[in-house]
Amino acid sequence: MKKFLFPLTLLPLLFTGCSSSKVSYVDPNSSRLIATTDSINIQDFAQAADAMTASLIDNLINQGRLKSSVEGEPALLAISRIVNNTGEQVDIDLLVKKIRVALLRTGKVQTSTTIAYGGPEDPLAKEQQDAREFLNGGKKPRLPDYTLSGKIIENRVKAGRVEQTSYIFQLSLSSRDGIAVWEDERTIVKQGKRPSVGF
Amino acid sequence: MLLPALLLVLGGAGCSSTKVNTLEPAQPAAQRNMISDKRVLMDQSLSKSVSVIGVNTAQGSEGFLKIQVEVQNLTRKRRFFSYRVEWFDENGMLIELPTNVSHPRSIESKAIAVITATAPTPRARDFRIQFIEPTK
Repeated sequence: MKKFLFPLTLLPLLFTGCSSSKVSYVDPNSSRLIATTDSINIQDFAQAADAMTASLIDNLINQGRLKSSVEGEPALLAISRIVNNTGEQVDIDLLVKKIRVALLRTGKVQTSTTIAYGGPEDPLAKEQQDAREFLNGGKKPRLPDYTLSGKIIENRVKAGRVEQTSYIFQLSLSSRDGIAVWEDERTIVKQGKRPSVGF
Repeated sequence: MLLPALLLVLGGAGCSSTKVNTLEPAQPAAQRNMISDKRVLMDQSLSKSVSVIGVNTAQGSEGFLKIQVEVQNLTRKRRFFSYRVEWFDENGMLIELPTNVSHPRSIESKAIAVITATAPTPRARDFRIQFIEPTK
């Protein structure tokens, strides 16, 4: 009996060792990220942001058409409404922040953190701005030269077991006169097969 | 009688890849600035799927470098690949951005695809493009 007890005590340890899950870190910019058809993945936002930024640089900035109201300073951008017309709750900053960072690095554009659709992004900066305005005898702070607005639209179709999900990113850059000086639309299409058993 | 018919069906099922015919002016009007490139080919199958024809560069009035890479799929089937562009400044230092990501693409058999990329800053002087096949 004792001969059998010893291997039996080792059996749970064996299963414990086999059940450990292996986690590995993945480069967020690599091509090894998981892609799904039922949601916008982080690489989708990054690809859309990259394409939009390149379009802004090619069609507006690199052609010298981006104007600043203050000579010698970068143009000032404010983020306006970007509508989420998809079936999932997404944080639009997953797209917008990437674009803002890229535009800032161009040295040609800066983004306001006190003027934005829905309220200031940085409340403390807004308070400081208000305080300076009061101390400067009511001199108003600089208004944005441009505003960025847009929409993300989702489109789903199925053909047999193949699902196709398209995410259409639309952005517009408006001048102070309310004229769209730049617009672009990029579509990311993903296809996948549904399993034959289950949902 | 049955065996040739079976082979015909199997052959038909396998011949679903699409090839591409192209047409362009015999005398291109555009002036391309093709640059010489250095290639490191570690994946022989990928080098046939995504065979680089040439690299064209241009610079805008504000100093942003733009590149255009033409690639051709020399195989008989549609191929999937990803590419990623890295930019380097005048000191050869990598310019890091959250938008520096891999872009998935597909290319039909014998088709020519154009990959374009714009430098994120006028400081960008050099670039490197990495091609990779999707992992199974």
